[in-house]
Amino acid sequence: MHEMTVRAEPVEGVGKLTARLKHAGSASGALMMLIVLCAVFAFSTENFLDGANLVNVAVQSTILLLLALPMTLIIMTEGLDLSMGAVLTLANVVLATVAVNTGGVSLALLAALGVGLAFGLVNGTLVSRLGIPPFVATLGTLGAAQGLALVVTDGQSVVGIPASVQMFYSGAFLGVPAPIWIAGIAYALFHVVLYHTRFGANVFALGGNREALTLAGVRTRLYLVAVYVIGGLMAGLAALLLTARISSGHPTAALGMEFDAIAAVAVGGTSFEKGKGWLLGTLIGVLAVGVLRNGLNLMGVTSAVQVSAIGLLVILALMIDAFRGKQS
Amino acid sequence: MTPPHDPAAPATPRVPILELRGISKRFTGVQALDDVSFELHEGEVHMLLGENGAGKSTLMKVLCGAHTADAGEFFHHGKPVVIGGPADAQRLGIAVIFQEFTLVPYLSVAQNIFLGREPRGRLPGLVDHARMRREAQAIMDQLGMTLAPDTVVATLGVAQQQMVEIAKALSQQARIVVLDEPTAALSDNETEKLFAMIETLKRQGVAMVYISHRMAEVFSMGDRITVLRDGKKVGFRMPGQTAPDELVSLMVGGKVDMSYSRTYCTAPGEMALRLQGVSARSGIQDVSLEVRAGEIVGLAGLVGSGRTEVARAIFGADPIAAGRIEIFGRPQTGGPTQARRLGAALIPESRKAQGLALIRSVGENLVLASLPRLFPRGLFSPSKAAAQARELIARLRIATPGPDRRVGVLSGGNQQKVVIGKWLSAEAKLFIFDEPTRGIDVGAKAEIFSLIDGLVKKGAAVLMISSELSEIVNVCDRTYVMREGRVAGELARDAMSEEAILTLGMHHA
Repeated sequence: MHEMTVRAEPVEGVGKLTARLKHAGSASGALMMLIVLCAVFAFSTENFLDGANLVNVAVQSTILLLLALPMTLIIMTEGLDLSMGAVLTLANVVLATVAVNTGGVSLALLAALGVGLAFGLVNGTLVSRLGIPPFVATLGTLGAAQGLALVVTDGQSVVGIPASVQMFYSGAFLGVPAPIWIAGIAYALFHVVLYHTRFGANVFALGGNREALTLAGVRTRLYLVAVYVIGGLMAGLAALLLTARISSGHPTAALGMEFDAIAAVAVGGTSFEKGKGWLLGTLIGVLAVGVLRNGLNLMGVTSAVQVSAIGLLVILALMIDAFRGKQS
Repeated sequence: MTPPHDPAAPATPRVPILELRGISKRFTGVQALDDVSFELHEGEVHMLLGENGAGKSTLMKVLCGAHTADAGEFFHHGKPVVIGGPADAQRLGIAVIFQEFTLVPYLSVAQNIFLGREPRGRLPGLVDHARMRREAQAIMDQLGMTLAPDTVVATLGVAQQQMVEIAKALSQQARIVVLDEPTAALSDNETEKLFAMIETLKRQGVAMVYISHRMAEVFSMGDRITVLRDGKKVGFRMPGQTAPDELVSLMVGGKVDMSYSRTYCTAPGEMALRLQGVSARSGIQDVSLEVRAGEIVGLAGLVGSGRTEVARAIFGADPIAAGRIEIFGRPQTGGPTQARRLGAALIPESRKAQGLALIRSVGENLVLASLPRLFPRGLFSPSKAAAQARELIARLRIATPGPDRRVGVLSGGNQQKVVIGKWLSAEAKLFIFDEPTRGIDVGAKAEIFSLIDGLVKKGAAVLMISSELSEIVNVCDRTYVMREGRVAGELARDAMSEEAILTLGMHHA
């Protein structure tokens, strides 16, 4: 009998997936944008569709994905983490400094994760225990982390990153670039956590109906703190890829990166209300932002203009969703 | 009134599944529950009746552990127990189906049923989805529900969500289910399904507390009836031994009238407001009413009967789907800006949220709605604004040291006066008051009413929404009574009584 249910699983899995696709129908707006963007750049640039360039887009999107995954969970709780870019920056200079001094990865990574953990705890505590609005709480920690990054480095870059760190971005395993492995594993973990654990169900409920969760006897504040802690830890992990990528620690390395992360989540169809979120949508959103930046780079558009373009992308995606919402 | 051992109680003394003795609960300034005792037996539907504010909601929240009683005892199968929080209530098998559902919109039906109690999978932390789905299906089968357990709750209608809520309660082995006006949002067909489900539950021995405003349900579904008024239990009846009239008079009681009276309007003036067959998506249907200059017209009805929605439709805050609204003979087709231009003012129920800028000064709030009139050229003159504010403060006798005081620090009654003054300054001639005395002490109430009386004596027209029936009866020249989005009737001055209003406002047969 037990075996029968195990065998029945794939069929039910499909049913579940379609259900999930249905309720997250808004994310098809993101998929449309991604396809349109790819088509536009395929025609307007010479080498967008080159295999090497596509791999490049994927590799360059990995850091953003590591931030956008926890940002999805945070936004699903009707929260926000503006400090993520600054915490990533601080973790980057700390990781670089420790790596240069010890010549290895492990202590450096631990230090970066420690920075993320600390800021995640502070964010979560401010939001859940003291009831400070997430926008304000994380704006405060953004300033704190950014300031610390400048103090720690005295405004200078940290150079001399050992090769053992650099290989996390430039290396490959079984022919697949290392950052893709890391981001892929992170995505799989987030998928399991969000859709197959109690923790995940609670994330949906934190934004969807917090009262229901409290009445079910769940310690809501603990879970809310945990969501922000995950955000901090992922910023710490992202610091490993960032440091490896730029081969340095730099006090403005990830300036404004939270903007890209929030944009990717919004493009992906996760709503800022009622716990409506979709992880695959976030992946699509991250790729859309990555493709947009890459394509504009190929066209020789400056980074400043790219920020405007991402802003437009967010507004367009949300307009498509609003339009579809009105129709249904 | 009611003896401790009611003759109406069943002949064979059974031990009740739940008994409440002497439950009291006080909030600042209000005795919400006063020495309430209540018995609940297995397999019975116990109807709970009362006006708005009689204490039904508080009793329900005490039962589910959302509020803790100040005094009183609980007995579960005869044994004393404590309900100190939601966990205690859950352990005793008590579940409350609120009107506001406790469902998570973007989780599936099965996930909602098992929220916080998901069956564990083989690895720590994982949920056994297959088992959860199977068990959810079993519960839903038992209730005759035909939903797929994987359906996302956000895609369900109200009736289905309510069924999910009941399934959730049963999955927690609930033996005591409290239903708060469960049919309020259901169609006739859905109501029948719900009643069938209730019959099934009764057969399984589940005890139910059923809060209702609909007399037909009270008599067709109820096994016993308890009536609350002003936080006290005022009656206990068997359906076969009472009639709707008696229940209504129990709910209203011989309440001491708040002795306010005025010189009522004998010769109404021009037509100030006329609604003809107004319907809106907010839930009102085919509403027609008239208010003339010099009149105070009441708009009574139970909470949720559509009173506020009528006010919002008149003011253009919600679009109307059908019908016609005229203010002083001119059609109101636009939003609040046009309503204001036509001379209408809405004094909303929630002064803090909708009527006042609390951190701004009394003076600023007073001139807020009349800036275009006072300063037609767009240039603000502080001295002119202050002069206008001082005049209004004196005229309305607002207790404030001066126009510079922050509105937020004034008492409720004085805040209400500031809102009225704001619209006086804007030269409004039609005033719509939504619960004008909510949160105001008795002394200030009389003052607000004489102020409202002053408005109509000077030729203004007033439409007044109130849940306090005595206020409507004492103050209004006429009243309309709403029921389920429609005007159920109109009462002239000499036909007005609390009983008459309540009888019209409640759902019969």
